Amino acid sequence: MSYQVKENIVNIFSGLLISTIYALIIYQRHQEGRFDLTEDFTTWGVIFIIFMIVSVIARIIIYIIFHIINAIALQKEEDIPVSDERDKLIKLKATRNSHYAFSITFASVFVFLAFGMPVYGIFIAFLIGGLLSELIDNGSQIYYHSKGI
Amino acid sequence: MSKSIIQNSLRKMRFLAGELTQQQLADELKVSRQTVVAIEKGNYSPSLELAFRIARVFNTTIEEVFTYEPVKK
Repeated sequence: MSYQVKENIVNIFSGLLISTIYALIIYQRHQEGRFDLTEDFTTWGVIFIIFMIVSVIARIIIYIIFHIINAIALQKEEDIPVSDERDKLIKLKATRNSHYAFSITFASVFVFLAFGMPVYGIFIAFLIGGLLSELIDNGSQIYYHSKGI
Repeated sequence: MSKSIIQNSLRKMRFLAGELTQQQLADELKVSRQTVVAIEKGNYSPSLELAFRIARVFNTTIEEVFTYEPVKK
């Protein structure tokens, strides 16, 4: 398994893990009545900002752990391969796919709004759309690395 | 993913160059071994620049390494 494939698998799992844990914590606090996510949209802004910070910190920690486990498994430190033209093309195509996914989510939100979805649903849809597009990005990279472009 | 219509004789070229390994070729070209594998399998068509660099490693022309097989209609 190439370094890029392993890195993308780690990205998928870390993305799912961080988002799920964070969503559960927020939902629990909402249930406890600490804030009302159906009315207070300022809180949504704060939630998203904290999520971005938490996500970056958690990913750094997960990357460090991944490198340690990878080095132990290979019994040597694996050099991070230099990104060549094929890697750049794969990243470009994967980014395109993830943008398609997020654009579809974005357009769908307005369709659902027109059919009576509550306004706070926009934020939940953006959260799910963001996660989905990230999964598609990493999934596409794995696919292109293994099957070719 | 469909195979490229650009065929290559990279495996033969490596053999003729004294069984040059994929890693050695990748190091010469400053690309990853995965890229060399993908080109050799026909899963990736390199850029013109990389194609020239490959040909230069084997002291030959691009036409000797890569051939274009147009799809017959």
